[in-house]
Amino acid sequence: MGMAAKTGRGRVRLNVGGRVFETTADTLASAGRDTMLGAMLDASWNAGHDPDAEYFIDRDPACFAVLLDLLRTGTLHLPPGLPEPTLCREALYYGLLDRVRAARAGEFDGDRLRLAASVPGRAPGDGTAVRAAPDGGCCVAHGGAVRVYNWLLEERRPVYLDHAPVNDAAYLDAATLLVAARERPGNRRSDGGGGGGGGVAAFSALTGDLRHRFRVAHWRQPRSFTAGALELDASSNRVFASCKGRLNEYGVGVWDCATGEQADFFYEPPGCALGDADKLQWLDATSTLMVATMFPRTDASFLTLLDFRDDKSVVWSWTDAGTPASLEEKRAVHAVVLEDGRSVCVVNQYDDLGFLDLRKNAGGVRWSSRSKLAGKKKKVAAARGYEEETCYPKLAAHGGQLFASTNDTISVFSGPDHVLTSTLRGSGGGAICDFSIGGDRLFALHNEENVFDVWETPPPAII
Amino acid sequence: MSGGGPPRKRNFKIEAFKHRVELDPKYAERTWKVLEHAIHEIYNHNASGLSFEELYRSAYNMVLHKYGEKLYDGLKNTMTWRLKEISKSIEAAQGGLFLEELNAKWMDHNKALQMIRDILMYMDRTYVPTSHRTPVHELGLNLWRDHIIHSPMIHSRLLDTLLDLIHRERMGEVINRGLMRSITKMLMDLGPAVYQDDFEKPFLEVSASFYSGESQEFIECCDCGNYLKKAERRLNEEMERVSHYLDAGSEAKITSVVEKEMIANHMHRLVHMENSGLVNMLIDDKYEDLGRMYALFRRVPDGLSTLRDVMTSYLRETGKQLVTDPERLKDPVEFVQRLLNEKDKHDKIISVAFGNDKTFQNALNSSFEYFINLNNRSPEFISLYVDDKLRKGLKGATEEDVEVILDKVMMLFRYLQEKDVFEKYYKQHLAKRLLSGKTVSDDAERSMIVKLKTECGYQFTSKLEGMFTDMKTSQDTMQDFYAKKAEELGDGPTLDVHILTTGSWPTQPSPPCNLPPEILTVCEKFRAYYLGTHSGRRLTWQTNMGTADIKATFGKGQKHELNVSTYQMCVLMLFNSADGLTYKEIEQATEIPASDLKRCLQSLACVKGKNVLRKEPMSKDISEDDTFYFNDKFTSKLVKVKIGTVVAQKESEPEKQETRQRVEEDRKPQIEAAIVRIMKSRRVLDHNSIVSEVTKQLQARFLPNPVVIKKRIESLIEREFLERDKVDRKLYRYLA
Repeated sequence: MGMAAKTGRGRVRLNVGGRVFETTADTLASAGRDTMLGAMLDASWNAGHDPDAEYFIDRDPACFAVLLDLLRTGTLHLPPGLPEPTLCREALYYGLLDRVRAARAGEFDGDRLRLAASVPGRAPGDGTAVRAAPDGGCCVAHGGAVRVYNWLLEERRPVYLDHAPVNDAAYLDAATLLVAARERPGNRRSDGGGGGGGGVAAFSALTGDLRHRFRVAHWRQPRSFTAGALELDASSNRVFASCKGRLNEYGVGVWDCATGEQADFFYEPPGCALGDADKLQWLDATSTLMVATMFPRTDASFLTLLDFRDDKSVVWSWTDAGTPASLEEKRAVHAVVLEDGRSVCVVNQYDDLGFLDLRKNAGGVRWSSRSKLAGKKKKVAAARGYEEETCYPKLAAHGGQLFASTNDTISVFSGPDHVLTSTLRGSGGGAICDFSIGGDRLFALHNEENVFDVWETPPPAII
Repeated sequence: MSGGGPPRKRNFKIEAFKHRVELDPKYAERTWKVLEHAIHEIYNHNASGLSFEELYRSAYNMVLHKYGEKLYDGLKNTMTWRLKEISKSIEAAQGGLFLEELNAKWMDHNKALQMIRDILMYMDRTYVPTSHRTPVHELGLNLWRDHIIHSPMIHSRLLDTLLDLIHRERMGEVINRGLMRSITKMLMDLGPAVYQDDFEKPFLEVSASFYSGESQEFIECCDCGNYLKKAERRLNEEMERVSHYLDAGSEAKITSVVEKEMIANHMHRLVHMENSGLVNMLIDDKYEDLGRMYALFRRVPDGLSTLRDVMTSYLRETGKQLVTDPERLKDPVEFVQRLLNEKDKHDKIISVAFGNDKTFQNALNSSFEYFINLNNRSPEFISLYVDDKLRKGLKGATEEDVEVILDKVMMLFRYLQEKDVFEKYYKQHLAKRLLSGKTVSDDAERSMIVKLKTECGYQFTSKLEGMFTDMKTSQDTMQDFYAKKAEELGDGPTLDVHILTTGSWPTQPSPPCNLPPEILTVCEKFRAYYLGTHSGRRLTWQTNMGTADIKATFGKGQKHELNVSTYQMCVLMLFNSADGLTYKEIEQATEIPASDLKRCLQSLACVKGKNVLRKEPMSKDISEDDTFYFNDKFTSKLVKVKIGTVVAQKESEPEKQETRQRVEEDRKPQIEAAIVRIMKSRRVLDHNSIVSEVTKQLQARFLPNPVVIKKRIESLIEREFLERDKVDRKLYRYLA
């Protein structure tokens, strides 16, 4: 840290845009060497500096006051009349933007969420998915585009994969977005080369530029395909995607996420459904991949656990195929493996939660009937698009809590017995068709007008 | 919407608006010049005049106004130009100063890079990620790599200098390790690939050829021990080198080069080196050399197995000589002692030099097992060894010492295949010890039995334990006998009877001899007493196994107490009533079996100092025409004279045959029992399977001979326990 340029013992005088601030070298050093203030006070820039002279910075003093306060206290207090984007612009100048972001909200807690923003959607067509970015931003897939938002919820350039309908998206990191898209029918170039559109590709989340495609070859022949659900395994840098080829090449493709090289392909064995999955989930504890293909996308629901090591194998599976089909029958419509990796939680069209034990094969679903908890009985039509638009419930597990979207509400369940502890009802954008948790935020995509709500935990109370 | 004026006006407005957004290109150029100047000043160590805030703001403004690309490319060009200048100055450095110059410039570049990065921090944060460019710091390293390290004038010179310095250090010179450390660290900082491709790979190649040459030189002029010392030293030097100035990842690679060149390539020659190889080390107990050899060979593939193989074949060869050398077979105690010494020696080598390696212990055990069983007298000898130790050898030894010796014996016992033969001998020897009261320590005896029991189970020792029980009961019986019949017996000879349970003891049926009448009376009284308390039993006198203490008065009135066998006592008692007796007369009077009688007379008449009888004619051997006289002139310094029977401790050839035959006889029922047990559970089995199953079941006791097993099967078929399958003659069926 700067040896020179100190007024008194460790004191530093700064003149920012005409206003003089006095602080300590330690306070400024807490910003880190990797920031403008850290570099400015570094010995290498102060060889001939007069110790009593003040530093001049040609920036806005009001914003600097807030940022200096942030360095001093670790908390962010935005005075009225100072717009957040202005503060963020200044924070970016000083290299303190990450600090501002970290100070804005507390650590994610499903029971203390408050609605932070409601962002109106603009694109026509139904939103299919919302995905949280690790840095607090998000993306919304609808139709042939993925709209990308930074953590300030400013929209960036959207991402297109040949304008093909997007099935799923996933953040590789804050700057890289993977997109899975449907092959356009009618495009008959099944000889590969990516001419068929669709498939999986990596984009810059910052600029929307295509980085590379993830191609699939069957018996050394490149093929076009429709990509469904996506999943990442961070520990081995692999990308998984549910793949549906034209020539019945169904299965799960595996790629190296940095290079885009195809690493493996798990062909769909008889009695399983892998190629048209709703959801993939990588389980670190057992190094397996859960593939969920659910009613009503298919006639029955299939849950499969794949082991990709040496001898690729199905290590666990469950299906409700073959149970008598009636409209009143409880059908699992979404699934998530709980964080302990031992059981799967499923939800049915009546919003009941059910549990399956992953440690033994051939078990049934233990339904915990709580459908009355939601308050009102809903008549959910088995066929889609009946009367008012409804959405099937979805599930997520995060930080030891279980989240379920039911109609326009997200329920939060806590503890080993999954007790309902909170309900989140947002801006009134209608039913929730998808939600995602990440970057200390929860994003809920509503059906009407593609509005999405952003939920976050406020910073801890001061006392 | 009439007339063309208004729309055109609107168009103008839009264009004017566009212009306002664009920054004056001259401004960008001016700003860049300021920054470019600053970069040069930084490289010139002249940064004190620069204002950080101003430069930071300038770079910020360029990026903000979309001149990020100009800034980035400008930086790249300026830095490239500077590095080309630097490369010239490094190239110009003379000889030894080359590395120092390179290192100094590298330090400068790092410092400059840090300051440049400080100024361009905003560009690094915003422009670089969105335009997918290389961050400033990484760019600086890449340019250094491309324009300095990979410059044709520096690249090979750098490598040669590094390799030369390492070579000189290997030859004993002192080099500047700090400088080496800095340079290799620079290569690592430039990326693992740079370190590996531009230094590590050639370094390993050069090292391989260096050690290949050196090992060739060493092996021609050094003995094995010295060679290994040198190899070990080289290995340690290389590891030290890595810790001082190479990347830690190189350690495994360079040690594997040294291991391959110095050990693996000369492994066989080293092990078999004449006069100094492994065998010589083993013979001479060179623990340090052996330890070194083990440690080094463990590092190379097949190293330890090579050592093990050579050790095993050496052990087998020497062991075989040991157990088959007729000279060595003369003294069983020494024979076993040698085996034990051999075992101790190698146990110590394995524990001291081979780190108690299990595989070496197993090799040692299997070698012993192999050669001990080459001599079929090993069981007898081991039993004799125990006999020796328990008779006298253990006198004065502490309990722990006894335990140690017995444990060692048990270890040898474990190697025996014919454990039943051992049992047979052990029983004989134990019986002799017990009956003659020669056991030194009852505890030691029992301890040995317990060991055998843990090793082989209850069945193995039940009879041995029976013998101890008999001894105890006999004692009680005798006490009771004398307590109850004291007045009845008067002053007659004292009788001490051991009542032996038939079957527990290794008795050979032999007809009792005629006892002297005095003795006979007491014996009859005892018989009456015993059968009175234990009905339904039968007593048979084993006169061939007893002893007697008799008092004798010789010519000049000197009195001696003679300790003799029962047979000898019978003979001597005859001379109470006669001075001279012929062989025939003695034989008739005593009815002692001829061979025993001869031995008994021999020990009474022919042993110097113990000759209480005189024989005519004088000769060494007893013939049936001899006449015996009481030797009046017998003298001895001792009051108590022990007259031993001439017995071979070791079995003679015919006795050996006999024992063997008895063992074979005893094995038959065991083999048959095993066959029946197996067939009862398996019902149908082919011949080979039976043989292998039987062998498996019995190998704890002995190794049955397949021919014998076949005979037992045939016998069982005759007795209709088994039958041959009607279709497949190789199959046997169990008949229940």
